[in-house]
Order: sequence, then C-alpha cells, then structure tokens
Amino acid sequence: MKTKLPIAIAFLSGLAMVAVFILNPEKVGDMEGELLQWTTVIGGFTLLLGVVSIVRVNWRPVVRRETGWFNNAALLLSVAVMAIPSVLPVSWSPLFGTDGGSMYDWFFINLSAPMMATMFAMLAFYVASAAFRAFRARSAEATLLLLTATVVMLWRVPVGEGLFVAIHSKLPNLINTYVMGGVNVAVQRGIIIGAALGAAATSLRIMLGIERTYMGKT
Amino acid sequence: MGFWQRVSQLDRRWIYLAVALAVIFPLLVPMKMKLGITPEARQLYEAIETLPDSSVVMLTFDYYPSTVAETRPMSIAALHQMFRKNLKVITMTTIPLGGPSMADRTMKLMGDLYHKTYGVDYVNLGYKANYTAVLLGMGSSIESIYPSDQYGTPLANLPLMQTVKNYDQISFIFIVADNGIVDNWISIVNAQFSTPMGAGVTAVMAPKFYSYVQAKQMTGLLGGMKGAAEYEMLVNKPAMALIGMDSQSLAHLLIIGFVIAGNVAYFATRKKKESKG
Repeated sequence: MKTKLPIAIAFLSGLAMVAVFILNPEKVGDMEGELLQWTTVIGGFTLLLGVVSIVRVNWRPVVRRETGWFNNAALLLSVAVMAIPSVLPVSWSPLFGTDGGSMYDWFFINLSAPMMATMFAMLAFYVASAAFRAFRARSAEATLLLLTATVVMLWRVPVGEGLFVAIHSKLPNLINTYVMGGVNVAVQRGIIIGAALGAAATSLRIMLGIERTYMGKT
Repeated sequence: MGFWQRVSQLDRRWIYLAVALAVIFPLLVPMKMKLGITPEARQLYEAIETLPDSSVVMLTFDYYPSTVAETRPMSIAALHQMFRKNLKVITMTTIPLGGPSMADRTMKLMGDLYHKTYGVDYVNLGYKANYTAVLLGMGSSIESIYPSDQYGTPLANLPLMQTVKNYDQISFIFIVADNGIVDNWISIVNAQFSTPMGAGVTAVMAPKFYSYVQAKQMTGLLGGMKGAAEYEMLVNKPAMALIGMDSQSLAHLLIIGFVIAGNVAYFATRKKKESKG
C-alpha cells in the first residue's frame, strides 16, 4: 500500500495534466487550475519539510558533539534567525515578515547576500589558477576548444572587441554569427533536444511506476 | 631550475594577486573603453521600445544574490526603459532566498525615481513555491496562484491587477535569471501561451539561449555583464555594468595570458624532459 498509493496518485495526476493539455478546456472545466493550486500548496509544504530535514540532520551532531559540531550549530542558528522572524506576522512588529526593515531583510542584505556574492566571486580566482595549470593544448580537440574559448573571451570584452575591429570591422559580428549563432547553437540544440527527450522519458517512467527514487526506493 | 620550469610551478597566490589587481585597478581608474552592441541585445530593446504606451509587461527577478553583479544592472536598465515608456510593470520571482527582497528594493528605488505609484503603475507579486505550477497556473489565472501580492494586499484591491487576469493581458515578459528557470518560461509560457519574451542571463548561461533566439521563441538576449552594459548603453543610463566591463576586460586578458604562459611553460619543459630522457 505504501508503494502502490503514491504510484497511483502520480499516475492519475500525470494523466490528468496530459488530458487537460490535449482536451478542450471547456470539457474539463477548471481542473487544471485546481490541480495547479494543489501543486503550489504542496510546494509550500515541501519548504517546511526541507526545514524539518535540515534541523534533523544537523541537530544530532550538535547533541553528540561530533567533529565540527559548531558548524552544524551555526547552520541551525542561521536557519532559526532567518526563518522564525520571517514567518511571524508583521502586525506584531515591523521587525517580522520579509519586507524592507524586517530582521529577515537586514540579515539577507547585510549577511546572506554579501556571503553568496563572495563565494561566487571567488570563482574568478580559481578559474584563473585552473586555466594556468590545466588548460593545455594536448590534442587537436583541446587546441580547438582553447582557441575558441580565447576568441569568445576576447569578443565578450571591449578591449578584445576593439582588437577584432582593428583587424576587420565585421569580425565581431562574424564571431557572433558563426561561433555563437552557428557552431554553438548546433551543439546547444542537440543538448536541449536530448535533455527534453530524457525529461519526457523520466516523466513517463514516474507515471508508470518504473522510476521510484522519489519515494526513497530504487 | 630553468625559467619555464619556474613559471610552470608558479605559486597560485601570485595568480590570485594578479586577478585581484586586474579587477580592482579599473574600478579605481576607469578606462572607458568603447563597447559594441550585439543584435540580440538590440532586438530585446526594440521589442520593448515598440510596445504601445501603458502596455503591461512582466519583469522577473529570478536570480540569487551571488550573481547580482551581472543581473541587477539588467533589471535596473530594463526598468529605466519600462518606466520611461510609461509601461505597467508586474514583477515576480521564483527564487525564495532573496528574490522578494531584491525585487522589493529595486522596484521601490526605480518607482520612486520615476514617480510611479504602487498598485497603479507597478505590482510586486513576490514568491510562490513550485515554479512549474506557478508559470503554468498564471496562464489561466494569476489571482488563483497569487491571491495577494508580496505585501499581503489582495490582487482585487490593486487597480493594475483588475485588468490583468492572465498572460493574455501581458504584452511582454522580460526574464532576468541566473538559473534554468528560463527554459521553463520558454517551454511553458511562450510555447503554450505565445507570450513574447526576452531574457537577461549570466554569461555562462547565455550560449544556451542563442538557439531560442534563432527559433524566435525569445525576442532578444542579454548575456552577462556585457549584455547588461549593452542595455545600459541602449537606454542611455550608463551605470555599474559599464564600469564593470573594464575590470572584466583586464580579467579576461589576464586569464588568456595565463593560458598562453601555462601552455608555453608546459611545452618548453616537456621538450626538455624528452630531450633528457
């Protein structure tokens, strides 16, 4: 029952959405709207589930004082400080909720945002270091990739663009047309079509109960 | 130890220092280099420019704070154009962490700048979980997905939302994103509801979306900080993206320089090893 019921729900929900997409909306009424509202409501509950899960996973190391427990404690404290005031009603205090001037907003602007931006900005340093150590023209394919990357990197910045214009005024447009709009698009289309077919196949596998990993089973 | 061997074993801290200097120096001493505008950016600009006055457009804030250097200038430049043209703007986000805060701050900043009234000239719908259902559901009824706006005001009480029921009343969707949500906007909203749309995305994402522009599923594309800088130039409001292009220029040159030096050192030392062996 624990397996059959979720599979039946997944099958019927998937079938309903397919039917709504194919059939005339007048014949199925507002079934699509109803189903989508259900989905957003369930989506809200999954956020709650995420919070419960993160607390459960991190609480145990703190209680048992496992190695690095203070990292788990810092994470739990962060979740509490960001989440609790944000869900309390603004009518109680302007510090609650998520609007400008709330605790959530203050922590987000002054802590969360700069930390996330810092993490992302550090990529520039790693990319430069990795490019120096690992980007080698060892084979014909690697050389082609290296040359294309160099051309695109130059083309995307004013100094490189100026350099290309100095060689020929139409060179930047040619790169845009033939590298980005030509070779790149051909490859990207292959990837996009492949991914779409994969997504359709996975959806079908879920609907038919072949794919069960979402229930924690293989 | 030979010169190239020393180069190939260069301490990475020197690389980090060089990158830091390449990024910081142009911010202190702007170089103001000339920038070309790609056809994709111009198409996006023209698509909004040709909309009739008071048309309703949607601007999304589908990005995390980590990419604001690339994405926020796009949102701001787009709002300059939209508010200057007296377009009515509806904003929303599919990002729970920070999306609502960034949309709120940016909209208030730009709304005040152009003396726009909340609820009449622009509305911030905020965030709702499960983006697939949100995008699909807004096709039949925005109110069924967002009964109230970001501040808890019922949509029925907002004058702008009394005329906007679903995508049929939205003339254009300008997506600013740093993640895969753009695919969903195209495959769900453009494909099923034929709403015209364009996107501003991070530089690493941009190559993927050229195919959608060619297929006319997207009317224009901004890629990374360069795309944002192009849009700032198009709306004639030079700001952070244009300033940042100098840093990006030097950083790119530096990385290309490192790649060349790394390869020369690699081949020079390999040749030496082979001749010894």
